[in-house]
Amino acid sequence: MSARQPGAAKHSQAMFFQQRAGDKVRNPVLQQALQKARPLFVGKRAKGVAALAEDGLDGERLRDACAEIRHRALADLDVWLTLFEERALATGAEVLWARDGEEAAALVVALARQHGVRKVVKSKSMLSEEMHLNAALEAAGIQPVETDLGEYIVQLAGETPSHIIAPAVHKTLGEVEALFAENHGRPQKSRNSADIPEMTREARGVLREHFLSAEMGVSGANFLIAESGTAALVTNEGNGRMVTTLPPLHVVVTGIEKVIPTLEDFATLMRMLPRSATGQSISNYVSLLTGTRRSGEHDGPQKTVFILVDNGRADLLGSDYQDMLRCIRCGACMNHCPVYFSLGGHAYGWVYPGPMGSVLTPLYTGIENALDLPQATTGCNQCGSVCPVRIPLPKLMHRLRETQVERGLRPLGEGLAFKAWGWLARQPRLYRLFSRIAARYLGWLSDPAPDGSRGGRRIRIFGLAPGWTVGRDLPVPPGPTFHERYAARKRV
Amino acid sequence: MKASEKVSVTTAVNSPVPAPTAEDAQRLAAARGARDEIRQRIGAGVAAAAAVAGATAGTKSRGDFASRRAAAEAYLAARPLGPQPQFAAAPEALVARFVAKAESLASSVARIAQRASAPAAVAAWLQAQGLPLQAVISGELADLDWASAGLSVAARAAADADPVGITGAFCAVAETGTLLLASSPQTPASISLLPETHIALVPESRLLATMEQAFAQVRAVGGGGLPRALNFISGPSRTGDIEQTIVLGAHGPCRVHIILLGDS
Repeated sequence: MSARQPGAAKHSQAMFFQQRAGDKVRNPVLQQALQKARPLFVGKRAKGVAALAEDGLDGERLRDACAEIRHRALADLDVWLTLFEERALATGAEVLWARDGEEAAALVVALARQHGVRKVVKSKSMLSEEMHLNAALEAAGIQPVETDLGEYIVQLAGETPSHIIAPAVHKTLGEVEALFAENHGRPQKSRNSADIPEMTREARGVLREHFLSAEMGVSGANFLIAESGTAALVTNEGNGRMVTTLPPLHVVVTGIEKVIPTLEDFATLMRMLPRSATGQSISNYVSLLTGTRRSGEHDGPQKTVFILVDNGRADLLGSDYQDMLRCIRCGACMNHCPVYFSLGGHAYGWVYPGPMGSVLTPLYTGIENALDLPQATTGCNQCGSVCPVRIPLPKLMHRLRETQVERGLRPLGEGLAFKAWGWLARQPRLYRLFSRIAARYLGWLSDPAPDGSRGGRRIRIFGLAPGWTVGRDLPVPPGPTFHERYAARKRV
Repeated sequence: MKASEKVSVTTAVNSPVPAPTAEDAQRLAAARGARDEIRQRIGAGVAAAAAVAGATAGTKSRGDFASRRAAAEAYLAARPLGPQPQFAAAPEALVARFVAKAESLASSVARIAQRASAPAAVAAWLQAQGLPLQAVISGELADLDWASAGLSVAARAAADADPVGITGAFCAVAETGTLLLASSPQTPASISLLPETHIALVPESRLLATMEQAFAQVRAVGGGGLPRALNFISGPSRTGDIEQTIVLGAHGPCRVHIILLGDS
């Protein structure tokens, strides 16, 4: 399934994960931004989900219901897409299909040129990152403007989003101020958090001009609703509404897996999506967009085009990884991931970071092109336990690791080491002897205790696997081995 | 993208309009071919998944496309509800819940007895906030006597410079303290979007418990189809994109004031 997307692999930096991870751990500015954000994300979701009980709603039952809705859509995806397409066409929208990101971007560019477009305003779309849409538009002499504040900051910095719902979470206030000063043509000021409203207002003014002058709006869709041929868009800033109300042409780019059957299903999902993402009971703007400007209406686009993008998704149907297609892009998995918050999103090297990215990147860009990502997990299952559609993320990462072994993609030494350990573990007496010696050896490696004797609690340099003690130390095993203690207790 | 390729998003584009190419037309026509290929791949994936599920559950195949389509249409007709919130739904309790939830989302809420006194209530609130007595309004509100209350209003789509937008609402949802606005020639979507201040006049009789009840109402009046835009609005626009600090007034209104009308 992986060899078919050379376009996606071309832009992936996922093979440089280890090197990038090291850089990120050593970047104090990034670490400061991440440490600030982490407790906010976790606390807000916990509060939002706990509030469900006030209305007699069981969060676990809601997760079941959401997973079931997404599963129903995927089990008959051909049927639901057929119904969606028929009904969208009946509302006067156009529906185009694209095999991969490159093809989808070329369609957007072609539509823009056909309609004399010079400027495109975009609301947040991670799929448009898969498409490298901004680069394709710029190459055609068309100006793309990201209008989500976080995406705008990231675009000014010439970067990519580091989080799927908080694209600029890696940026500190000082970095944002420097970007605004440079790009808005004013001197840089000294800023503290009390200035954030003023800075937001400044960006509002700049972006308002773009909303009013763009000839085309590009948005994603959180869901496609089959019963009415509708695109559902969930935003807080109102930029999604601007992009889909003001320009005469609206293009919706969305993955083929995003369809759900009914408005009632949408209402159920909306009880979990904002809570999982930001802890909100509902996002500020939930827009259901159907067709184009009606006769007699004074605003809204005159033309709406859906571009339904495959880019590797269809191949996951019926595979070991179909569950991943349930994803509703809330970001809860990364918000609760110890690996994500040690590194930030850019270390992952492609569009999607965190646990969902560690599954999607190998699947969409080639397993052999993202070997480290499914290994970059502590197996703690915090992601799986908060996922609103119950995607078993650790299990999928585990399956990807198995596939790496099956396809001979792991280093030779790793296989030999596991074979040796496997043999040793089947020889109980030898194993006990070995673990006793190993525990004593590790104790001997430790740094000196305060009185200068051996017997400290930490190992700072571990020569056998030096990578383990770069950027952290290793605890010393505390005294006798499990077998020694067990034997001692039995004697009592 | 390398820093050297960085595009300035704040400077105007002076380049000519890019002209459509022959390739563009071809590409758009070829999207049809992509459609068939993708649909074939989806069909194969769905069949493979059904085979796996069937083997696990020991059941027969899930049927051909036509029978699965019939089942999907039956699901659309049945529209089963998910888990529903439980809260007091008597009229006065709905009002109390709506007010509490809307205020928690940073809207302000007032209650007046009569629709006819809405212009005076709007004028008084605008004056108290130090805002101009000038607004763009939905056509459905054009019958009210705004001039006597000292307000200068125009019923049309909103422009960038309009300081205040006044709308009705298709209905409101008490579960979350949310307004639902439906677009139509009489109710342009831009009025609740472009002005910095959005005021909504909502008859208390239009308060519903949930989003599902709102959808049932939309279907009942729409004769099947949906309006171009259904916008659920929950307070002023907001962002947290700079250091996760919540700021009200991102791109849409900075303040939302809801006036509940007792009599209509």
